[in-house]
Amino acid sequence: MMTYWSHQSISPVISAIFLAPLLFGVINWIKAFLSGRRGAPWLQPYFDLWKLMRKSAVYSRTTTWIFRAGPLVGLGAILTAAMIMPMGNIPALVSFPGDFVLFAYLLALGRFFTIIAALDTGSSFQGMGASREAYFSALSEPALLLALTAVARRTGSNSLSGMYEVLSSGSWALVSPAMVLVFIAIFIVFLTENARIPVDDPTTHLELTMIHEVMVLDHGGPDLAFINYGAALKMWILGQLLIGIVNPVHTGIMWLNQTISIVVSLSGPAIAVGLIEFSMARLRLKRVPQLLVAAGIFSVLALIMELR
Amino acid sequence: MNNWIDLLIILLILSNFVMLGSSRLAVCIRTLAIQGILLGILPLMIDRQDLVLHTTLVSIGALIIKGIVFPWLLFKVLRRIGIRREIEPFVGYVPSLFIGLAGLIVSLYIGSKLDFPAPESVADVIPLSLFSILAGLFLLTTRKKALSMVMGYLVLENGIYAFGSVVLNKVPVIVELGVLLDALVAVFIMGIATYHINREFDHIDVNRLDNLKG
Amino acid sequence: MHNAGHLIWIILVVSVAFGGICRIFRSPRKILSFMCAGVLVVTVPVLTLVVYTFYYGAVSSAGQWFYIDSLSAFHLVVMMLVFCMSTFYGYHYFDEKIDEGIFTTRLARRYGSLWFASLTAMTLVLVSNNLGIMWVGMETTTLVTAFLINLYSNKTAVEAMWKYLIICSVGIAFAFMGTLLVAASAYTLETHVADVLLWTKLVKVGEVLNPALLKTGFVFILVGYGTKAGLAPMHTWLPDAHSQAPAPVSAIFSGFMLNAALYCIMRYISLVDLVSETFSQELLVLFGIGTIIISAAFILSQHDLKRLLAYHSVEHLGIITLGLGLGPAGIFAALFHTLNHSVCKSLGFFCAGRLGQIYGTYDMRQISGSMHLSFLWGGGLMGSLLALIGLAPFALFMSELLIVKAALETDTIWAMVLFLAGSSIVFVGALKHIIPIAWGKPSTDHVCLKSMLTDKVLVLGALALLLMLGLWMPDVLHEILYRAAYIVGGHHN
Repeated sequence: MMTYWSHQSISPVISAIFLAPLLFGVINWIKAFLSGRRGAPWLQPYFDLWKLMRKSAVYSRTTTWIFRAGPLVGLGAILTAAMIMPMGNIPALVSFPGDFVLFAYLLALGRFFTIIAALDTGSSFQGMGASREAYFSALSEPALLLALTAVARRTGSNSLSGMYEVLSSGSWALVSPAMVLVFIAIFIVFLTENARIPVDDPTTHLELTMIHEVMVLDHGGPDLAFINYGAALKMWILGQLLIGIVNPVHTGIMWLNQTISIVVSLSGPAIAVGLIEFSMARLRLKRVPQLLVAAGIFSVLALIMELR
Repeated sequence: MNNWIDLLIILLILSNFVMLGSSRLAVCIRTLAIQGILLGILPLMIDRQDLVLHTTLVSIGALIIKGIVFPWLLFKVLRRIGIRREIEPFVGYVPSLFIGLAGLIVSLYIGSKLDFPAPESVADVIPLSLFSILAGLFLLTTRKKALSMVMGYLVLENGIYAFGSVVLNKVPVIVELGVLLDALVAVFIMGIATYHINREFDHIDVNRLDNLKG
Repeated sequence: MHNAGHLIWIILVVSVAFGGICRIFRSPRKILSFMCAGVLVVTVPVLTLVVYTFYYGAVSSAGQWFYIDSLSAFHLVVMMLVFCMSTFYGYHYFDEKIDEGIFTTRLARRYGSLWFASLTAMTLVLVSNNLGIMWVGMETTTLVTAFLINLYSNKTAVEAMWKYLIICSVGIAFAFMGTLLVAASAYTLETHVADVLLWTKLVKVGEVLNPALLKTGFVFILVGYGTKAGLAPMHTWLPDAHSQAPAPVSAIFSGFMLNAALYCIMRYISLVDLVSETFSQELLVLFGIGTIIISAAFILSQHDLKRLLAYHSVEHLGIITLGLGLGPAGIFAALFHTLNHSVCKSLGFFCAGRLGQIYGTYDMRQISGSMHLSFLWGGGLMGSLLALIGLAPFALFMSELLIVKAALETDTIWAMVLFLAGSSIVFVGALKHIIPIAWGKPSTDHVCLKSMLTDKVLVLGALALLLMLGLWMPDVLHEILYRAAYIVGGHHN
């Protein structure tokens, strides 16, 4: 495995680790603001995590080690993914050719363990959520991979850091119909992976309509903290994936770049998600696959446009 | 310039997918209207300095007939019949989308095999038109409502029209306009036929028209 | 030369005008009378043109957009024959419906104007030299005839009309794709835009056409116009439409509309043969044989008289297509067969229509002893069915024999064997029906209709024509057929 240490930077992964929960706080604040309420403080997600960490977990006697491994592996996979995810044109800690495939499969690994942990509980609700999650991810994963392939093709680089460096330094000159398609596809994947409206509703607790939330019902204490923190990280890095495509920032000054990138990656996904959740309702479960297939179609089209 | 053609082609392909994946007839009709307008613009994008008048005439004709008159006629039928959805087609919507994707790939393959004497900038119109033809045929064979079948026919027709826009300078303008007029009359008559079906049977499910056999 | 071309305009304008005039009459009877007169009036310029073409060669007009050579002249003759017969038959066919008040003035007006509109559209197909206009004409025939099927607007007729509309529209759309591909194949041609789809132009410059595109185009054309011509497996609309339409309409469908579609294919055969000797032949033989076999299977299991006749149309169109694929001799025979089949099938539908009125059904198990009830219609039906299955002295036997001969000459033995097998199946299958229909025990409770003079002339005339052509072919006809065949497949010589 060839690594480009010359290009590395620690700032993307550091900001991901520390700022990810803040993203949830901002989203909740925006949603509250849009609906005319005064939201919880921005730091509320940190308080929640701290509260959960101090509790102890309760394990059902029917569960096995898989149930306990779920949250850990999930968080581990996301952390690893965070290490190869650049922030705009600031390269990631680790990068190598083809790392975007690893990226997609790290997400898949995390999800796989969440699913089998949910199945391990033996509860029918968890099983239902797991089956839905498996179905939807089977549709969203090809969309993500194909979209990234299209970007790789466009930028002529096959590592995430390389891609995003080219994208943001080229700024708007690289805008083409294909990149618009990629953006839409990744945006849908972003919403799906993070279980947001219109695919899933993070606030509902009706088991029959939930997808993601229902799978983690049995987790508690530090396990739940890991899961929630992992979810925040996942949103952060997928947000990077999304923002990186349209982020035109290229100042040449490192610290300025970093500051702008952090502000954009906090506000961009947060505002988008906030607006969507404010204005849309959850799709009927039967319609979700259509949305995901649409994302796949966008990716395929983008790839076709790039392959010509 | 090239980017704009690409954009048009992408939008046209996407509109076909909307046709494949949407159960609401009103959505389908609106999509067809958009498709008609895009198709009207398409010939203008293809650069032909020597045929400005010819291209403009055909474009305007297509824009009016495909973009305005067809949707208007279809909406009229829709209102009169009072149905809103295509319920349970023979192939579901998600499988339809996947089949559409396969169709797209097939048409790209055929498009690359067909050694077609078109300018480089419009080479992509050919897979698009093949894809529209396949999508139209698919809609025609898997949808049950008479109105959906009319729309399938129109998607097919649009595909052929897109192909025609590539070879436009080969076809005299009177022929092009005659073709458009025929399509107009065809849709008009199909609309009336749909009324008749609705009146005789109290439904427009074509799969339930099975009195004639053998 | 120049003046003769004007006749084409006159024919088109006059028949459109007649369609309009039909709307001003106030009783169905008057409209039907006017239609008879109108068709005769149209026949005059058509025949003049045909005779002119025969003696002085091809006629063209409107900057070569209209063009009549022997091939189109021959088809014009067949068309006018079928239209005249059907119009005169229609004069008495609707008697009962008029008395019952079903065939109202409104219906008669619609019938009359659509009738003339379809005459115009088919004429347009035959006289246009521009392949695009030819397509427009063909599509127009679909559109104007749709409501002729659904004249009385009942459930089965609506269903038949719908299938006809959709299947034929899609088929014709394919034909347009084919037309575009053919246009594209001429991309190296440096001509004015208006000239590029002219058949006469393309035929002259065959060697510069792009073979791959032309062949692809021909496949589309064959499938597209083949749908309209009722070639299997695209024939599914045909039995429905033919069985539901009123008898005179079935007669023009079977007698000429199918042939008009085949005529379009013939024009392309002569184009595609310029770039490939055998391509069209193989396809045509394949489609022809397939159509014969499939229709034979359906004929065996048929109980509805009009559907039986419809499947016979499918079979005979298959035979004509087969003939077109068998070289010059085959094409000659195919054209001859076109004439015979059109006359015979019109006769068949005439008789079936009237027998249907007498018996109140088209179910062949209930139509028995028709010869006793009505010697004219029963005998006519028997005659036409016997001719259709290829009984010896009739003309269809002769033309089928010529096709077999052509198959032998071109060493297409497998096709010949399959053709003969299909024909034998049809022969046996149809004979099974014919005998009880003609000589069975008549059920006595049916009212016998009075046969009118025109009816007698029609039936006896058609039978006599079929017999005569079977025994003796006039030199004039031979010459026309020969020239027409030369246009389709002349380069083979």
